[in-house]
Amino acid sequence: MKKLYRFLLQQHIGAPDSPVVKTGDRVERGTLIAVPTKLGANIHSSVSGSVVEVNEREIVVEADENQDGSTVAIQADSIIDAVKEAGIVGMGGAGFPTHVKLNTDLQGGVVIANGVECEPLLKHNIKEMEENPALIIRGLKYAMQATKAARGIVAIKAKNTKAIAAVRAAINDASITIAELPDIYPMGEERAIVREVLGKLLACDQLPSAAGAVISNVETLSRICEAVESKKPFVTKNVTVAGKLKSGRESVVFMDVPLGTPIKDLIEAAGGIDGAYGEIIMGGPFTGKSVSLDSVVTKTTGGILVTLPLPNEKRKMGLLVCACGANEERLRELAQKMGAPVVGVERCKQVVDVKNAIKCENPGNCPGQAEKIMKLKKSGAEVVLVSNCSDCTNTVMGVAPKMKLPVYHHTDHVMRTVGHRLVRRLKPTK
Amino acid sequence: MSITQETAAHHKNDPAVVCCLTEAGTVISPADLEDPAIFPDLEDSGLLNLPANVLKIGQILGAKLTKTIDALTPITPDVVEGIQAIEEATEAAVEATVDDEGVREAAPVATAAPVAQVGEPSVVAGGMVKIRIEEAKGINLEFPTVVMSGGAPAAAQAEAPAAQPAGAVAAVEAAPAVKVEDKVRRTLNIREFAVKKVELGETTSFENGVLTIRKALCEEALKADPLVKKIEMDFVTPDNKHVYSPTIMDCMPIAAKVEGSLGEGVTHALTGVVVILTGVDESGLQVHEFGSCEGHMDEKIRYGRPGTPDEGDIMIRVMTTIAAGCGMERRGPYAAHKVCDIILQEVREVLKKVPAEQAVNTIEHKDVTRLGRPRVVLVKEIMGQGAMHDNVILPTEPAGVFGGRPNVDLGNVPVVLSPNEVRDGGIHALTCIGPASKENTRHYFREPLVSLMANDEEINLVGVVFVGSPQINDEKNYVCGRVGAIVEALGVDGAIVTTEGFGNNHIDFAGHIEQIGKRGVSVVGVTYSAYQGALVVGNKYMDAMIDLNKDSNGFESEVLGDNTLCPWDAERALRMLKTKMAGEEIKAPGRKWDQSVIEANQKLVDAAK
Repeated sequence: MKKLYRFLLQQHIGAPDSPVVKTGDRVERGTLIAVPTKLGANIHSSVSGSVVEVNEREIVVEADENQDGSTVAIQADSIIDAVKEAGIVGMGGAGFPTHVKLNTDLQGGVVIANGVECEPLLKHNIKEMEENPALIIRGLKYAMQATKAARGIVAIKAKNTKAIAAVRAAINDASITIAELPDIYPMGEERAIVREVLGKLLACDQLPSAAGAVISNVETLSRICEAVESKKPFVTKNVTVAGKLKSGRESVVFMDVPLGTPIKDLIEAAGGIDGAYGEIIMGGPFTGKSVSLDSVVTKTTGGILVTLPLPNEKRKMGLLVCACGANEERLRELAQKMGAPVVGVERCKQVVDVKNAIKCENPGNCPGQAEKIMKLKKSGAEVVLVSNCSDCTNTVMGVAPKMKLPVYHHTDHVMRTVGHRLVRRLKPTK
Repeated sequence: MSITQETAAHHKNDPAVVCCLTEAGTVISPADLEDPAIFPDLEDSGLLNLPANVLKIGQILGAKLTKTIDALTPITPDVVEGIQAIEEATEAAVEATVDDEGVREAAPVATAAPVAQVGEPSVVAGGMVKIRIEEAKGINLEFPTVVMSGGAPAAAQAEAPAAQPAGAVAAVEAAPAVKVEDKVRRTLNIREFAVKKVELGETTSFENGVLTIRKALCEEALKADPLVKKIEMDFVTPDNKHVYSPTIMDCMPIAAKVEGSLGEGVTHALTGVVVILTGVDESGLQVHEFGSCEGHMDEKIRYGRPGTPDEGDIMIRVMTTIAAGCGMERRGPYAAHKVCDIILQEVREVLKKVPAEQAVNTIEHKDVTRLGRPRVVLVKEIMGQGAMHDNVILPTEPAGVFGGRPNVDLGNVPVVLSPNEVRDGGIHALTCIGPASKENTRHYFREPLVSLMANDEEINLVGVVFVGSPQINDEKNYVCGRVGAIVEALGVDGAIVTTEGFGNNHIDFAGHIEQIGKRGVSVVGVTYSAYQGALVVGNKYMDAMIDLNKDSNGFESEVLGDNTLCPWDAERALRMLKTKMAGEEIKAPGRKWDQSVIEANQKLVDAAK
């Protein structure tokens, strides 16, 4: 049976792309099928086959039964051109078009390779750093060259010793160093990295360039390397599948999954869903979104998590919204799925509205939560659901239980699925 | 909550408690500390126990933590090194004062020089303002009552004769060239005619103190609105008030315009009688089903309030029955008020023709512009959520319905009335739930704060702004913004904001105060709050508040008019405003409602008379 691959026209920050193929067209792996209208990035077919549908949301390609693995090369003279033609976007989750990000003059600044992978359960960045660090380091050098940066830094959590060793062995240039970061969420957030690595706390509406830095996910860098050296368009993505799988509870990493692949196929390949499940989450436990089984892999797909059914909760629930985790909408969705009436919503003091999103003034450094928890209790909450980072959740745990308020964290059902330690109190470090 | 440098400086003598897990080696900064403003709540919740050896914020800023401590742990000498000495002079001054005065807030504050000499230092000496509010929201929600201190204009000034009007408050306006002059804008004469008896008869008449109302009127009035299914009228005399009544929708005076329009000319009014409008629907549901004052009239009415019958008043009861289910719709209550007004109009027509010489009394009200005195405005928030939560502004006849515009139809935006327009029945209130804290039509006809401010020669009352309280927050923000703009345009030095009811309306009540306060205008808030009506929102401009509570348990008692603004409340409010305008300090309220604070303030005000 022939397989269908669906390429969403919006796989990046910006506006949806405009298709340049029509139904019936023949495409090869690497054929350009959509181009940006405003801010965006090129989209190429990840398979050879024929276009069977073009609509305002997506382009559907029926793949040939035999895929020979060859890829149509892009045409490009410069690094930026190669990145642009290849359609590379940030692979840490946000999907900002990389050619726009690199189109800056850092005047001797720094490019930081983000290998922090701070969302629990996700493993594909670590695996790549362990197995193919040279590709990442070469990509980092191209990014430094394009932005006129003098230094490169690879940021990795200190606990990932194997990855650190592999990356260190791959570094052959004195201008590139490794920064080891503590194991708390959200160390991988751009502004948290700038703060930890460069010692500068950016305002919520500032980009890392305000600190003379560009931050790029390690996979993005390896895709840059492929585009520059092999003229390969961005048509495959590394993905972690984890959760309630027949194969067990260990994360399964798939390297180079063709874009447009149904996630159902990936879950099957990872062993298949083990009985009843709660949600399918695309992304990590903290910031991922609940999606349907019909979804497909996009340029920003990092994790596919199958969770346990959500617990039933009838008590009145208070929500504490944090900019580092789930937003209010997601918390309300979870409360509704649990069956709990929401009686109060508070936002962490550090939440700031920036454009259409919320951001944290100082990611991972708690400003205190006692007042918010007291307010939730006052509004009638008998139980609270929080979406805080590690440090803020630790504070909540120092407050809520003393007030006889049980605490749920919005990642609980994911963590429990895989037997991961729940986000509650921090482990004592000293 | 982590605090700012500024807050830390303000609280340098308060205990230092970390807000979050803080690691050994941390050099303590304000960002690591919990806000002392919420300590009392934390202690109440069992989250915080302050040991005797807890260090002060001023002592530990910049000091280094030697041990990792959890959220809400007080910082004690055993977990920190490098304790700082607090600046000696300040410490000594604060403590010295505490010793001298024995009161916590008694730190000597440099009060405004012009008024310092008229204060009463032994009692109230400008207290240190402890406003623990950082932002416009999320505050000490429970300040229930409020406090004035600082004996602003001392007794001498308050009693100063008209010839010497520039008292303490006027001194604020330091410009020597200011001309002190009264300009009378308009005069209203209300001629009062005493009613001794009310009866039903063949024609409506008023002779020798006997008011006769035509029997057939009720039947005829029914035609005015098909939603009203039945009207009954009877008279409740002062000697027999133990009578059952459906919920009271309004208490109104009978008054008629004889010359001029509202606010000027001549008005005839009946005394010794009021009209009580009641309402129930055909299915037996009270129009105020939730928060009704149905019951025996001797128990469910607080007699003698500005908005209620006086003890000796004869009550003309107009009891309406409206179509089932429309009590909570706008048309239902409005229909009841409309038919009642039709009945009263026939009485008014008779009243207009009564010879002036039969009047037992004539009250003269003047709208006066008092040049050279601080300009002040009164902002009255009125209900505007629809159904019975509505008010008819500026009817043709005093306290009437026809000819006026409901504030809901006006989008609840602020409308300015002159003090005389208010005192000539410029507001017809569709009194709503809960009855204890809502202002009836009669309340506006004899509004004590309007009269007090209009007659006070130390201030220049420029007008009375009525603003409706809409249901939706966006609309609340809208009308608050307009109040701010009007106050700015009026160029006033001070404002008093009153509201009726509690809860939802407190959101815009707080919003009005913020809009006024942030324009640099001294502002005082007046509301029922106490226990049941504790404020749900607040901001830093709400530091001078008057509580109208008169219920010993602090509840909305469902007794008509119980917790409304009375003459003595008006005196506290105006004194509070004068105190604030004079730059005197006002003590912060306690955390919980305490009626004794209100009583103590009342004594201060009474003593100054």
